[in-house]
Amino acid sequence: MPNYEIMYIVNPNVVEEEIDKINGQVDSVITHGGGKVGKVEKLGKRRLAYLVKKFREGSYVLFTVEASGAVVHEVERRLRVMDQVIKYLTVRMDEDSKRLDKIKAHREKRAAHRGSRRAEGGDRRGHAQQAEQMPEE
Amino acid sequence: MAMQKQYYRRKKVCKFCVERIDNINYKDVKLLSQFVPERAKIMPRRISGVCTPHQRLLSAAIKKARSIALLPYATE
Repeated sequence: MPNYEIMYIVNPNVVEEEIDKINGQVDSVITHGGGKVGKVEKLGKRRLAYLVKKFREGSYVLFTVEASGAVVHEVERRLRVMDQVIKYLTVRMDEDSKRLDKIKAHREKRAAHRGSRRAEGGDRRGHAQQAEQMPEE
Repeated sequence: MAMQKQYYRRKKVCKFCVERIDNINYKDVKLLSQFVPERAKIMPRRISGVCTPHQRLLSAAIKKARSIALLPYATE
Protein backbone atom coordinates (compact mmCIF):
# COMPACT_ATOMS: atom_id res chain seq x y z
CA MET A 1 0.00 0.00 0.00
CA PRO A 2 1.25 3.47 -0.73
CA ASN A 3 2.64 5.79 1.90
CA TYR A 4 1.18 9.20 2.47
CA GLU A 5 1.90 12.18 4.61
CA ILE A 6 -1.16 14.03 5.78
CA MET A 7 -0.48 17.45 7.22
CA TYR A 8 -3.11 19.76 8.57
CA ILE A 9 -3.35 23.06 10.35
CA VAL A 10 -5.66 23.46 13.32
CA ASN A 11 -7.13 26.73 14.52
CA PRO A 12 -4.53 28.32 16.87
CA ASN A 13 -7.10 29.02 19.61
CA VAL A 14 -7.87 25.34 20.03
CA VAL A 15 -6.39 23.74 23.14
CA GLU A 16 -4.02 20.80 23.14
CA GLU A 17 -6.66 18.25 24.23
CA GLU A 18 -8.92 19.26 21.37
CA ILE A 19 -6.09 18.67 18.90
CA ASP A 20 -5.53 15.23 20.41
CA LYS A 21 -9.22 14.53 19.89
CA ILE A 22 -8.99 15.48 16.20
CA ASN A 23 -5.90 13.31 15.85
CA GLY A 24 -7.79 10.42 17.46
CA GLN A 25 -10.61 10.81 14.96
CA VAL A 26 -8.22 10.81 12.01
CA ASP A 27 -6.42 7.82 13.48
CA SER A 28 -9.63 5.82 13.83
CA VAL A 29 -10.72 6.62 10.26
CA ILE A 30 -7.42 5.25 8.96
CA THR A 31 -7.31 2.11 11.08
CA HIS A 32 -10.99 1.34 10.37
CA GLY A 33 -10.29 1.60 6.67
CA GLY A 34 -7.52 -0.98 6.93
CA GLY A 35 -4.61 1.44 6.92
CA LYS A 36 -1.67 1.80 9.26
CA VAL A 37 -0.65 4.96 11.09
CA GLY A 38 3.11 5.29 11.17
CA LYS A 39 3.86 8.47 13.03
CA VAL A 40 1.84 11.32 14.49
CA GLU A 41 3.81 14.48 15.02
CA LYS A 42 2.57 17.67 16.54
CA LEU A 43 4.76 20.33 15.05
CA GLY A 44 3.37 23.00 17.36
CA LYS A 45 2.23 26.51 16.68
CA ARG A 46 3.77 28.20 13.67
CA ARG A 47 3.28 31.50 11.94
CA LEU A 48 1.48 31.01 8.65
CA ALA A 49 3.05 32.41 5.51
CA TYR A 50 -0.26 34.02 4.59
CA LEU A 51 -3.70 34.48 6.11
CA VAL A 52 -5.81 31.33 6.21
CA LYS A 53 -9.41 31.95 7.23
CA LYS A 54 -8.19 35.16 8.86
CA PHE A 55 -5.67 33.36 11.06
CA ARG A 56 -2.03 34.35 11.22
CA GLU A 57 -0.97 31.32 13.21
CA GLY A 58 -1.81 27.67 13.27
CA SER A 59 -0.98 24.40 14.98
CA TYR A 60 0.55 21.94 12.56
CA VAL A 61 0.01 18.19 12.78
CA LEU A 62 1.75 15.63 10.61
CA PHE A 63 0.56 12.06 10.04
CA THR A 64 2.64 9.42 8.30
CA VAL A 65 0.22 6.85 6.96
CA GLU A 66 0.21 3.63 5.02
CA ALA A 67 -3.22 3.29 3.48
CA SER A 68 -5.12 2.92 0.24
CA GLY A 69 -6.24 5.91 -1.77
CA ALA A 70 -9.87 5.47 -0.75
CA VAL A 71 -8.98 5.78 2.95
CA VAL A 72 -6.96 8.93 2.33
CA HIS A 73 -9.87 10.32 0.36
CA GLU A 74 -12.16 9.68 3.31
CA VAL A 75 -9.70 11.36 5.72
CA GLU A 76 -9.58 14.39 3.47
CA ARG A 77 -13.36 14.56 3.39
CA ARG A 78 -13.48 14.43 7.20
CA LEU A 79 -10.84 17.13 7.52
CA ARG A 80 -12.77 19.35 5.17
CA VAL A 81 -15.83 19.05 7.35
CA MET A 82 -14.06 19.77 10.66
CA ASP A 83 -14.35 23.41 11.65
CA GLN A 84 -11.14 23.45 13.64
CA VAL A 85 -9.00 22.30 10.73
CA ILE A 86 -8.23 25.32 8.60
CA LYS A 87 -6.02 23.69 5.97
CA TYR A 88 -4.71 20.27 5.00
CA LEU A 89 -2.33 18.69 2.51
CA THR A 90 -1.75 15.08 1.53
CA VAL A 91 1.45 14.06 -0.19
CA ARG A 92 2.29 10.63 -1.52
CA MET A 93 5.76 9.65 -0.36
CA ASP A 94 6.55 6.13 -1.57
CA GLU A 95 7.55 7.09 -5.10
CA ASP A 96 9.84 9.76 -3.74
CA SER A 97 11.49 7.45 -1.24
CA LYS A 98 11.91 4.81 -3.95
CA ARG A 99 13.80 7.34 -6.02
CA LEU A 100 15.96 8.26 -3.03
CA ASP A 101 16.81 4.62 -2.35
CA LYS A 102 17.82 4.18 -5.96
CA ILE A 103 20.14 7.17 -5.83
CA LYS A 104 21.63 5.94 -2.58
CA ALA A 105 22.21 2.43 -3.94
CA HIS A 106 23.76 3.86 -7.07
CA ARG A 107 26.10 6.04 -5.05
CA GLU A 108 27.20 3.15 -2.84
CA LYS A 109 27.82 0.97 -5.86
CA ARG A 110 29.96 3.66 -7.42
CA ALA A 111 31.93 4.19 -4.23
CA ALA A 112 32.60 0.47 -3.95
CA HIS A 113 33.58 0.29 -7.60
CA ARG A 114 36.00 3.18 -7.28
CA GLY A 115 37.62 1.58 -4.24
CA SER A 116 38.19 -1.73 -6.00
CA ARG A 117 39.61 -0.06 -9.09
CA ARG A 118 42.16 1.83 -7.06
CA ALA A 119 43.22 -1.38 -5.35
CA GLU A 120 43.75 -3.17 -8.67
CA GLY A 121 45.95 -0.38 -9.94
CA GLY A 122 47.07 0.00 -13.50
CA ASP A 123 44.10 -1.66 -15.19
CA ARG A 124 42.07 1.09 -17.05
CA ARG A 125 44.64 3.71 -16.10
CA GLY A 126 43.21 6.47 -18.27
CA HIS A 127 39.89 6.30 -16.51
CA ALA A 128 41.41 6.15 -13.07
CA GLN A 129 43.52 9.21 -13.72
CA GLN A 130 40.58 11.16 -14.93
CA ALA A 131 38.61 10.26 -11.86
CA GLU A 132 41.44 11.32 -9.60
CA GLN A 133 41.84 14.64 -11.29
CA MET A 134 38.21 15.55 -10.83
CA PRO A 135 38.29 16.66 -7.19
CA GLU A 136 41.11 19.14 -7.81
CA GLU A 137 38.92 21.30 -10.02
CA MET B 1 36.65 39.01 -33.18
CA ALA B 2 35.05 39.02 -29.80
CA MET B 3 36.71 41.01 -27.07
CA GLN B 4 38.24 38.91 -24.37
CA LYS B 5 36.38 39.22 -21.12
CA GLN B 6 38.46 41.05 -18.55
CA TYR B 7 36.70 39.78 -15.51
CA TYR B 8 36.30 36.23 -14.39
CA ARG B 9 32.82 35.04 -13.73
CA ARG B 10 32.66 32.17 -11.30
CA LYS B 11 30.81 29.24 -12.74
CA LYS B 12 27.57 28.62 -10.89
CA VAL B 13 27.09 25.15 -9.53
CA CYS B 14 24.01 23.32 -8.44
CA LYS B 15 23.79 23.43 -4.66
CA PHE B 16 21.98 20.11 -4.53
CA CYS B 17 24.56 18.31 -6.66
CA VAL B 18 27.52 19.75 -4.78
CA GLU B 19 26.19 19.13 -1.29
CA ARG B 20 24.60 15.82 -2.33
CA ILE B 21 21.16 16.81 -1.16
CA ASP B 22 18.80 14.28 -2.71
CA ASN B 23 15.81 14.79 -0.55
CA ILE B 24 14.11 18.06 -1.41
CA ASN B 25 11.23 17.95 1.03
CA TYR B 26 8.36 20.41 1.22
CA LYS B 27 8.72 20.60 5.02
CA ASP B 28 12.30 21.84 4.89
CA VAL B 29 11.46 25.54 4.96
CA LYS B 30 15.01 26.59 5.75
CA LEU B 31 16.31 24.96 2.57
CA LEU B 32 13.45 26.06 0.34
CA SER B 33 13.45 29.66 1.52
CA GLN B 34 16.93 30.06 0.07
CA PHE B 35 15.29 29.80 -3.34
CA VAL B 36 12.39 32.17 -2.81
CA PRO B 37 13.58 35.78 -2.78
CA GLU B 38 11.63 38.71 -1.32
CA ARG B 39 8.71 38.68 -3.70
CA ALA B 40 8.24 34.97 -2.91
CA LYS B 41 8.71 33.95 -6.51
CA ILE B 42 10.72 30.83 -7.30
CA MET B 43 14.28 31.76 -8.15
CA PRO B 44 15.08 30.97 -11.81
CA ARG B 45 17.82 28.53 -12.67
CA ARG B 46 19.87 31.14 -14.50
CA ILE B 47 20.35 32.97 -11.19
CA SER B 48 20.58 30.15 -8.67
CA GLY B 49 22.54 27.77 -10.92
CA VAL B 50 20.49 24.76 -9.88
CA CYS B 51 20.52 21.96 -12.46
CA THR B 52 17.34 21.06 -14.35
CA PRO B 53 16.38 17.83 -12.52
CA HIS B 54 16.89 19.47 -9.14
CA GLN B 55 15.07 22.63 -10.13
CA ARG B 56 12.09 20.49 -11.08
CA LEU B 57 12.06 18.80 -7.68
CA LEU B 58 12.66 22.11 -5.96
CA SER B 59 9.80 23.93 -7.62
CA ALA B 60 7.43 21.04 -6.85
CA ALA B 61 8.49 21.15 -3.19
CA ILE B 62 8.05 24.93 -3.01
CA LYS B 63 4.56 24.65 -4.45
CA LYS B 64 3.63 22.02 -1.88
CA ALA B 65 5.01 24.17 0.92
CA ARG B 66 2.97 27.10 -0.36
CA SER B 67 -0.18 25.09 -0.33
CA ILE B 68 0.16 24.31 3.40
CA ALA B 69 1.15 27.93 4.27
CA LEU B 70 4.80 27.21 5.05
CA LEU B 71 5.86 29.55 2.26
CA PRO B 72 3.99 32.54 0.86
CA TYR B 73 2.45 32.74 -2.59
CA ALA B 74 3.25 36.44 -2.67
CA THR B 75 4.44 38.93 -0.10
CA GLU B 76 1.79 41.14 1.45
